[in-house]
Amino acid sequence: MITKLFTPKNLRNLIIIMVVVGVLVLAFSGYLTPVFSFSVSPLISAQSWLSQRYLAFSDFFNSPRDMATLRVENAKLQNEVALLQSEIVALQENLAQSDILYTLLDFARTNPEHEYVAATVVGREISPYLQYIIIDKGSNDGLRHGMPVVTQQGLVGRIDALISDAARIQLITDANSTVNVKLQTAGVEGLVRGSVTGEITLDMVPVDTEVQIGDILMTSGLGGTYPPNIFVGQVLTMQSKQNVLFQTGSVQPVVDFSNLSAVLVITNFDSVDISPLVP
Amino acid sequence: MWSYLIGFAAFLLTTMLQMSIFSQWKILSGSADIILLFIVAWCLHDRNKRLWLLVLIMAAFAGTISALPAYIPLIVYFIVYRVSRLFQARLMQSPLLGMLVLTFGASLLQIVLNIAYLFVIRVDLNFTDALVEVAFPSILLNMLLAIPVYVVVREIALYAFPKGVEA
Repeated sequence: MITKLFTPKNLRNLIIIMVVVGVLVLAFSGYLTPVFSFSVSPLISAQSWLSQRYLAFSDFFNSPRDMATLRVENAKLQNEVALLQSEIVALQENLAQSDILYTLLDFARTNPEHEYVAATVVGREISPYLQYIIIDKGSNDGLRHGMPVVTQQGLVGRIDALISDAARIQLITDANSTVNVKLQTAGVEGLVRGSVTGEITLDMVPVDTEVQIGDILMTSGLGGTYPPNIFVGQVLTMQSKQNVLFQTGSVQPVVDFSNLSAVLVITNFDSVDISPLVP
Repeated sequence: MWSYLIGFAAFLLTTMLQMSIFSQWKILSGSADIILLFIVAWCLHDRNKRLWLLVLIMAAFAGTISALPAYIPLIVYFIVYRVSRLFQARLMQSPLLGMLVLTFGASLLQIVLNIAYLFVIRVDLNFTDALVEVAFPSILLNMLLAIPVYVVVREIALYAFPKGVEA
């Protein structure tokens, strides 16, 4: 029985199976990796060389047609990108405008003592010596000469001239503008003047008053030009000279006048024109 | 008639560009006045006898928009008009030189009138700031933009005056 089992044929098969199983075990356990890599790498190199040559050959014949197709597709995609970019820009503009309007709305809600008309800034003064803006609301929207103009940040100016659908606003930075203010901490009143360069200065502060840098300026309501308690700016520097009655200082306005895009006009405030009483 | 319409339409476009864009392009506190540059360039191109009528309309328009009194643009634009007539007669071979000289002169005149107006209405004016921060940068910007505006106006003038314009 055993002699039948170990015939030369079976013995040969058994040895082959054992060798195969042994090689597989060695391969799976990683002992044959150097052998494989040594023997396979020439094959891979040859395959790579052949593949590259084929691709080069294939490109040589197919590329003109593909290039034309790609160019068309590229042009289409570029058009789509341009279209989407313009849509993104338009949406971003709408979003920015909405943000501004929401902020203005919040301001109007938190200051219910006034009635407001929102307007968009559509232009600026031609002369570099004057600081004015043009808005897209006029007498048809209930605006009148002298009405104060604000943003959510603070005081902007007042209506200087208007037509049916537009109005010109004199900014508080204009050289001919003066705003009566009170200093919140110091508790005294002063005058904020504009200038030809668009900077604003604090004036008429009594020389014996101690003014802190950063003190907040709000409209005092004196003079009847602006309603009281609207933010104007913060004191940046103060200087007082000898033998003068008042000290002066520079002011950082709370409103960024270079980026004004929307404003609120206070429509229920009647400014008082005291110019006939000024000597 | 055609030239008046084109001239006034171009003037309106220039005014819109000035109010929306160029008034915000600043060096220090000075800005360019492309309305003035347009009028200088247009006056150098237009040989029409009734150009003064268009200049009058433009001045009235600019005077209405601006917070400056209307007589300031009126004076400046009419002086530009008169001097451009002299230049057309005597500096025909070098209109670009005429453009630069007129731009400089008109800018200077406009600044002098602006400062004079502020002085008259008793604005507390710092002359050093008015010159260094506003006047000089404005003149510089006007001079820089003079040639581009001249070139654009020349292209427009080709449509307005088909018989030919100055080179």
